[in-house]
Amino acid sequence: MKAVLVVHGGAWAIPDELAEASVKGVKAAASEGYRVLGTGGSALDAVEKAVRAMEDNPVFDAGHGAVLNADGEVELDAIIMDGQTLGSGAVSCVQNIANPVSLARAVMEKTDHVMLTSRGANLFAERIGFKTAPTETLVTAYERREWEKAKEYGAGVKELFHSQLCHDTVGAVAVDSCGNVACATSTGGIRNKMVGRVGDSPVIGAGGYADNRSGAVSCTGHGESILKVTLARLIIFHIEQGKEVEDAVALSLRYMDERVHSGGGAIAVSPSGQWAATFTTERMAWAAAEQGTLWYGLNPQERVQDKPVQ
Amino acid sequence: MNCCRNSEHCSAYMDQSKRRRGRREGDGRKSYRPSLRKERSKRLSLCLVGMLPVLVVHGGAGQIPKERVEMASAGVRAAARAGYAVLQGGRSSMDAVVEAVTNLENNPSFNAGYGSVLNVKGEVEMDAIVMDGRTLASGAVSAVRNIANPIQLARLVMEQTSHLCLTAGGAGQFARAMGMPEVPGDSLITEYARMRWKKNLAPNANPVESQMGKMGTVGAVAVDEDGNIACATSTGGMLNKMEGRVGDTACIGCGGYADNRAGAVSPTGHGEAIMKVTLARLILFHMAQGMSPEEASDLGLATMKERVEGLGGVVTVDPQGRWAARFTSTQMAWAAAQGGTLHFGVFSGEDVTQDIGDPS
Repeated sequence: MKAVLVVHGGAWAIPDELAEASVKGVKAAASEGYRVLGTGGSALDAVEKAVRAMEDNPVFDAGHGAVLNADGEVELDAIIMDGQTLGSGAVSCVQNIANPVSLARAVMEKTDHVMLTSRGANLFAERIGFKTAPTETLVTAYERREWEKAKEYGAGVKELFHSQLCHDTVGAVAVDSCGNVACATSTGGIRNKMVGRVGDSPVIGAGGYADNRSGAVSCTGHGESILKVTLARLIIFHIEQGKEVEDAVALSLRYMDERVHSGGGAIAVSPSGQWAATFTTERMAWAAAEQGTLWYGLNPQERVQDKPVQ
Repeated sequence: MNCCRNSEHCSAYMDQSKRRRGRREGDGRKSYRPSLRKERSKRLSLCLVGMLPVLVVHGGAGQIPKERVEMASAGVRAAARAGYAVLQGGRSSMDAVVEAVTNLENNPSFNAGYGSVLNVKGEVEMDAIVMDGRTLASGAVSAVRNIANPIQLARLVMEQTSHLCLTAGGAGQFARAMGMPEVPGDSLITEYARMRWKKNLAPNANPVESQMGKMGTVGAVAVDEDGNIACATSTGGMLNKMEGRVGDTACIGCGGYADNRAGAVSPTGHGEAIMKVTLARLILFHMAQGMSPEEASDLGLATMKERVEGLGGVVTVDPQGRWAARFTSTQMAWAAAQGGTLHFGVFSGEDVTQDIGDPS
């Protein structure tokens, strides 16, 4: 079985000053996740590892580096899904957790539930001994500055330009040497969102979906639009209908644009190792590792081959 | 085409379809001459007018105890009548489903609003969703407390914010900002809910099995005169759930989905299982492939049973007004209103009809 891992660091109009760090970040995350697969690790372990790497990287809007809500606080969402069992774990609006994707995995493996929110999610984290991270350690100076600016201009104007909004949710999909697929997505949401706003990332079928029978998907973009078309599940549906992975993603993004006038991006992988990283926004930082080779991109149609992955 | 249940008013269509069948038997080929296509679509639009509006509600899938069956059935019938009256008044499918679900939230016999099951701490946390099939707009709340009608708050999320889902404290904050009255948590708790909670605190209790027992999530789907489709679902969630547990109800594509192009679904049953197969969305995918609401619903529920061993039920409607109320659990209280007739049932295969004006 061909092991493949793909990651994304968010689909939006990534400004030039963040471009290099974003590309570096996704390449590093892909390498880390691929190493797990290379040593016979599971797709689930690999996607968690890759997403943790991006949560720890302050350039992305997930874990460290998350954007702030209307009250100037950090509220994090994440999901992980195991294509073998359709098992899934998700957290929404959890606070002071550095690696929400790992908390999401704990929800899947240590509870009978699929999703925990807010204070309940935090209580669970406490109960299982998850370390809390003070808000100041999660928020960058850059984000504080941008948040102050956004407060000045108000959210209304920003809504018109969905892709201009910082949307660097992170995600990963993988297929391991046993043919099992998995996905994971993590985010701090959108800057200045209402307190308690839940986007697509932790919602199964929207921010991510994985099924050994067809593949795994992780999405990024304007959360509300992704939710309306249940983007991840839509991509999987097209794969189920026999479409190539790349076509399934392209078709679904086109549909989202047609129905709800929004751009976005998605990464997807099939059990046979076909993969895609496609977006309709200005940019999306992504990287993929397969057969010892690392690929990456940022701008549309870009697909650069990098040196072999260790 | 398995059209409406009143094929008498569509006898012209039936004749035409007989003629088509005859031609097919003759030369073995299906042929649709352009003139026939136009005629067929004219018949269809006659059918459409005859079929709409329609509203279907459910009051939860499970194993309703004998003594509660009549309460549940009476409740869904009352809700269906209330929602249908809205449609007959020319108002929208969104207004109708919210009316029907509000009615069920206010009815303590159901696991939504007043009468919600309790979380492990003995408190009420509620989830709800609405979706507008015309625009794919949606509003949802999860783990919200101290309000009587989460479905109305979900609608406000859709109409008054640029978001689709608000949770917990944030949802409560929004409710206050909207002037929604805050109610004491206790006022939503019934003796029955408290009794079930205590019982399930026992170490060998099985809340999942129990959940598939006594009380259910409520929901409604509707198509109005203009052909606009909507769905609404509301719940107190799972018996003795962990604090902050969010089930399918607040998750678009799982606890509800509506699309003018395909139809609407409102599920009930084991929330985690519904989420894993994104049940509402799955059923509509099948309908988009040409299946009837009944076939699609049965296939979706069978998939859920096969893949994740989950039981449940759905109410489903398509743009032509065909509807279905299907379930794999032992019972599901449901009622459908269409063309002046009320259909309802609780047990598998049951479909009782009465005039909608009949007060019982």
